[in-house]
Amino acid sequence: MTKYLDLSIQQINELLKKKEIKPIDLVNECFERIENSDSNSFITLNKEEAIKRAHELENKEVDNLLFGLPIAVKDNIVTKNLRTTCASKILENFIPIYDAEVVRKINEKNMIIIGKTNMDEFAMGSTSQTSYFGVPLNPWNKTRVPGGSSGGSASCVSNRLAFLSLGSDTGGSIRQPSSYCGIVGMKPTYGRVSRYGLIAFASSLDQIGPMTRNVYENALLLNAISGHDDKDLTSSYREVEDYTRMIGEDVKGMKIAIPNYLVSDIVSSEVKNKLMEIVELLREAGVTVDFIDIEYLDKAVTLYQIIAMGEASSNLARFDGIRYGYSVENPQSADELYMKTRQEGFGKEVKRRIMVGSYLLSGENAKIYYDKALRIRDDMRKAFKDAFKKYDLIIGPVSTTVAYSLGEGLDDPLKTFMDDVLVIPVNMAGFPGMSVPMGFNKEHMPIGLHIIGDDFEEALMYKLAAFIEKKLNLNLDPRGGK
Amino acid sequence: MKDKLTKEEVLHVSRLARVGISEEEIEKYQVELKKLLDEVDKIKEVKNYDEELLIAPYDHDTVLRKDESGEMLSNEEIMKNVPASIGNFVEVPVMIND
Repeated sequence: MTKYLDLSIQQINELLKKKEIKPIDLVNECFERIENSDSNSFITLNKEEAIKRAHELENKEVDNLLFGLPIAVKDNIVTKNLRTTCASKILENFIPIYDAEVVRKINEKNMIIIGKTNMDEFAMGSTSQTSYFGVPLNPWNKTRVPGGSSGGSASCVSNRLAFLSLGSDTGGSIRQPSSYCGIVGMKPTYGRVSRYGLIAFASSLDQIGPMTRNVYENALLLNAISGHDDKDLTSSYREVEDYTRMIGEDVKGMKIAIPNYLVSDIVSSEVKNKLMEIVELLREAGVTVDFIDIEYLDKAVTLYQIIAMGEASSNLARFDGIRYGYSVENPQSADELYMKTRQEGFGKEVKRRIMVGSYLLSGENAKIYYDKALRIRDDMRKAFKDAFKKYDLIIGPVSTTVAYSLGEGLDDPLKTFMDDVLVIPVNMAGFPGMSVPMGFNKEHMPIGLHIIGDDFEEALMYKLAAFIEKKLNLNLDPRGGK
Repeated sequence: MKDKLTKEEVLHVSRLARVGISEEEIEKYQVELKKLLDEVDKIKEVKNYDEELLIAPYDHDTVLRKDESGEMLSNEEIMKNVPASIGNFVEVPVMIND
């Protein structure tokens, strides 16, 4: 059993302040659990550095709630001198020469990075099975996927191998694995968290966010990583608020909408029933819940494919075998260098997406597909904005099902997109979206509630999430589960 | 409607993306890429939409940072991940033949 990983961050903070424990005790417990775990949550461990850092912190004042806490970082976020692979063969030996802005921020808070988490290759997938380094497992049932692409970040927090983690979300990659693993995951508003040092997949959709055991800790970590950054052109100038400030407030009088599409036949009945229980619970608490129509939601997957694959093909053009990464030996021409390096370095999901993306952006196609997608994307955002004129928040399920079996649908190039049908619209429009556990199905697999806010309404989302968390009081430790 | 791309179409996209494919893979891609392209083709069903574009969802003006020199990287750092090098030069295949 664990000693410290069962305690809340506030409890740990008290113990650190009273000098009853030291950061090294936390680090040692995490590594002990990681080394005894078969979940394959990590690609690279940072043990030596983490131990060194923990000892350095012994002489420092415990100046914030996140002080000394071991954190896991998704392996598409660059860490100076610590291997960063994007779960790809092409970056198998890549050692970054600078830190991402979020990494600088968590170091500033004196948190300790314990390792880089497993994921779908270049964040392309919804199960983490496209990783070059093997699939991480779902702690609730090891024959199931943890979701993706931030599967390692979700499974390590759920499995109590780390206190918190960072993930990234381009089309559901924080929220869907959080739902599958029974943790809390937030994709902040586009521009809230700097993308500097996040290896780009689709630049207009990507956002880094916190993944944690509970709502309060999630808000705390968002406090730490938010803020303007001159190194990211899309970074917002808006001041950082205290995202914990509304937690615990009464939800009475709130107005919430559920888009009919999010409870249509594409959603399994066990997920839909769980959502309806939440609706009851909210109505009893004096919350208005209405079912509404939002246009274009049924086109979100198509839009996402065009925009995400198009942007990916452009972003991944940098992997040319010349400046860094895998490179084919003794190429006879530049052409052979590019073609073979990319053939051998990328996995099949990534190659499919780059090929389709290149096609969509080539010549006249750019107008027919990409340009048109951007226009409909604008309409979709406006449709959401209209809903936010009348409602505080929008809710629905995160995923149409619970986590499914390893290997299922691997050969279907569309399945991975359809898995994310309910979460993709949020990235298209730039709004914040989060997953908070709302219960289990009859096989005791977790189900996540999706909360969507207007731009920069994260604090309000945490208020609702914290209310639901407290009301349900679920046991979210999988070691007591299956 | 045909259910797969032609061999030439697959080779065309492979060339566009600079991703080599083996002879055996072509057949697989003929089917898989077609499935994806059929899905994106659904955008053609949407008839009513505004002219305004949303390139990326942020509402502030994009301002470039001040043109001041900041932290510098050393040669050694820059060359650290280069797969093939000669001294401080990056080695590439011959680009121009005489």
